[in-house]
Amino acid sequence: MLQTLFNGFVTGITMTLPALAVTLLFGVLKFANFAIGAMMTVAAYMAFALNAQLGWPLLPSTIVVAIVCGLLCIAVDVVTFKPLRDRGSITLMVASLGLGFVLENIARLFYGNSARSFAIEIARPFRVMDIRMNKEQMITIVVSTVAMLAMYFLLTRTPVGRAMRAVADNPSLALVRGIESGRIIRWTWFIAGVLLAVGGVLIGMDRAIEPPMGSSYLIAVFAAAIFGGLGSPLGAFLGALAIGIVSEMATLVIPPNYRIGIPLCVIALVLIFRPQGLMGQAHIRR
Amino acid sequence: MISFIILMSIVICFSAVLALALNFQWGSGGMVNFGLAGFYALGAYACALLMLKGGFNTFFATLGAMAIVAVACGLVAIVTLRVTEEDYFAIVTLGVGEMLRLVALNEDWLTKGALGLSGIERPFNDWVAPTSYSYVMLGFCALMVAATVWFLNKLARSPFGRVVRAVREDDVVAATLGKHVLWARIRIFAIGGALIGLAGSLHAFYYQYIDPTQFSNIVIAYAFMAVIAGGRGAYLGTILGASIVMVLLEGSRFAKDLIPSLSSDQLAAIRIIIIGVGLIALLIYRPQGFLREYRLQANLSGSKQQSP
Repeated sequence: MLQTLFNGFVTGITMTLPALAVTLLFGVLKFANFAIGAMMTVAAYMAFALNAQLGWPLLPSTIVVAIVCGLLCIAVDVVTFKPLRDRGSITLMVASLGLGFVLENIARLFYGNSARSFAIEIARPFRVMDIRMNKEQMITIVVSTVAMLAMYFLLTRTPVGRAMRAVADNPSLALVRGIESGRIIRWTWFIAGVLLAVGGVLIGMDRAIEPPMGSSYLIAVFAAAIFGGLGSPLGAFLGALAIGIVSEMATLVIPPNYRIGIPLCVIALVLIFRPQGLMGQAHIRR
Repeated sequence: MISFIILMSIVICFSAVLALALNFQWGSGGMVNFGLAGFYALGAYACALLMLKGGFNTFFATLGAMAIVAVACGLVAIVTLRVTEEDYFAIVTLGVGEMLRLVALNEDWLTKGALGLSGIERPFNDWVAPTSYSYVMLGFCALMVAATVWFLNKLARSPFGRVVRAVREDDVVAATLGKHVLWARIRIFAIGGALIGLAGSLHAFYYQYIDPTQFSNIVIAYAFMAVIAGGRGAYLGTILGASIVMVLLEGSRFAKDLIPSLSSDQLAAIRIIIIGVGLIALLIYRPQGFLREYRLQANLSGSKQQSP
């Protein structure tokens, strides 16, 4: 019971980074990005190439991949989403779906379908108060917490973070105040890319690295972001923890194969009963 | 070669029905369906199981499959009750589609899991000789495509068709004009669902064997590509779009002869990359597709044809 709770907590905290990326992207760009799963997959494979194939330690590989991934996201935005910016969210979503197919299959083209893992030594799990934990879970908790604190600092204390929140809140008002939306959009993509890269490496460390690894988290990550209120960073954090714990606890009663049913039900319930989510603000359309 | 063309035409036909269903839901009604592959699987499995376990004949099994997918889609549309933003609905459809595929994969007692269902009966099998059966199948599938296009065109010109487009363009305005938006959305999605059920049944009849791998996300990529290429809301264009996509896909089989070092996994990956890039390129460079949607035009001067 306690063990399941802890596992759920770790699952949840793994999802905080992608959930935050989803919510930031949605806040600034106003569309649900279905390519985030594949972006995580690609990042995990890039880290795999540096770590397992070139023999770098995992930490510097992750840092390099995070920066590369952030820059790649900006490039992808310029090529794919920028020309479609004014066409409405449906077009952007369909484009992101297509992009997801492309990215996932680029990974498949180079590495095939078989599962890979990082070159890290396997440590024996240790016990604290009867809860079995392993080193990877500890790393996940520490990295995610540090990243969340950094994000909190970035969003509240730096001019870029404040400008991002302003654009997310009201783009035209932000423009009036002299905030250049193009620059903010690039920053948002970069930060989202970094978050997704770190999230991808964490997931790859926890499970195996394989082409569908990122997209298998898609529904849960969206559920976390929606539950917290799309566009609310704090909500994404709490939502991810809640979704992780609830879906892990639910495997005590439902078959684990249907794990994704839980986030799905959460989405449906939130949409019907509290559309603005946990931390989001109810808004009136037009 | 002739038989290859006939078999490919059959594949084009049931892909076209699937793409037409998507074109109605998404192109006309503005409701994105990212769970298409799951609903398609539901249609195929429902049809197969109604025959194998329920003992129905092909006709009633098809009707049953259409009804089941229509109900499933209608239920999904209820989540738009309070939130009408497309993003949320797209996420929900993605999740439901995934769930449906998981059920097909995991409920061994019903679907035989990864083994799949075999021995699916075909329509008119007793009446024609096996050698000429593919012609009959092609005729039947082509008839279904024609019927679907006819039905959707009729629908587009009906009062309900105008409600459908109004809901897509601006649901607030539609609601202000006294249209019941939720009910319209449920019907849009259910009608599309019935057509997905039809496509799934044809798929099951053609292959006579279905397993979960046939209904992967690639189906979604194909169908979206077909709809975008053909033109959103333009039903005849969808047939054109489906034909182009399928010819490209089947043609890419011959790419293996050109580059023999590619494994089949890599080839499959390249096909999907091409589809994905094509999808984005079409959205950027030719978002209106090749053909235009039907528009009601006021006939002011009383002459037969108005310039558009």
